[in-house]
Amino acid sequence: MPPHLLSRPLPDAIKTELERLFLDKVIANLGLCVSVYDIRSIEGGSIHPGEGCSTYKVSFRLLMFKPFNGEVLVGRIIGYDDKGLQVSLDFFSDISIPGHLMQFGTVRGPDGRWMLKTEDGDELYLDLDDEIRFLVSSTKYPPIPIDQKEDDPPFAPMQIVGSIKGDGLGLLAWWAADEEEGRRRQSKSNSIVLL
Amino acid sequence: MKIQKANAGILTNFEVLDFLRTRGAKVDPMGCLGAVAASECKVYEYLLKTPACNQTRESIYEFVKRSAGFMLAEADKLNVINWRPSSAADAYAMIEECGKRFSRDYRGEACDEDKRVQEFLDMVKEVLPPPPPKAEAEAMQE
Repeated sequence: MPPHLLSRPLPDAIKTELERLFLDKVIANLGLCVSVYDIRSIEGGSIHPGEGCSTYKVSFRLLMFKPFNGEVLVGRIIGYDDKGLQVSLDFFSDISIPGHLMQFGTVRGPDGRWMLKTEDGDELYLDLDDEIRFLVSSTKYPPIPIDQKEDDPPFAPMQIVGSIKGDGLGLLAWWAADEEEGRRRQSKSNSIVLL
Repeated sequence: MKIQKANAGILTNFEVLDFLRTRGAKVDPMGCLGAVAASECKVYEYLLKTPACNQTRESIYEFVKRSAGFMLAEADKLNVINWRPSSAADAYAMIEECGKRFSRDYRGEACDEDKRVQEFLDMVKEVLPPPPPKAEAEAMQE
């Protein structure tokens, strides 16, 4: 607890310090810390020789963002390359959907965008800023690299790999149209039953 | 630092939203500078765009009670609460092995899975509030 925070009430000061240490940071295998949920106990308050700050033993809970494998998330497409798509939830952007985890028949079009060719012959493009629903396939926590070359992409301590292979996954727009057709079909069958 | 428990529990989007709301998060990024950090604000804004934004604790309890007969896993219930499926395609995306899961009803007897999926969707539609109109166009048609 640095001395400049000592004038504040203790729980507040400890919360500020915990937030400084953990907020918006990734803890390996535990996920991204979103918030300090609560502080359960504070003990201590001793001052070690040679230091100006007091040391406490704090038991607390953190609210983490850690999607489980099989969780459904909705994000926006922010980029694409020859390996696949990049998706962002506004607070977390290291999500990739590789080519082999897209719906059958999705290929890279001539202008670089990924495109799904349906049975009806429609070409459905996956464009930037499209809202996309995907399944979390796995989450990786690569170790911090010792050396980084000049043009390497910035290090991402937590990388989520997503999949859009399956019913209901992919651009929200694809399934919204189907829902309307489904409802029209249903209402038709309902009216036949009433007759 | 010692990790006492790596996973003390799972929270739905609604619970996280409620927690941030009680901490003082608001849509206006300048308004919540004192109470919540900028990163928490981003999470709050993201969650407001999901169906969690107008859920209530009671509706979630009601859903958990009513879904007991459908034999869903915790993960499936979480997906459904967070994203409120409104069509069969949504349900298949959110529930693992949906076809197999719904091929038996609560008594354990075989039944028509499409009918069962529709029963489930009707229950979801009844219990969980629909997301606000600007987010989904079909809600306006309802």
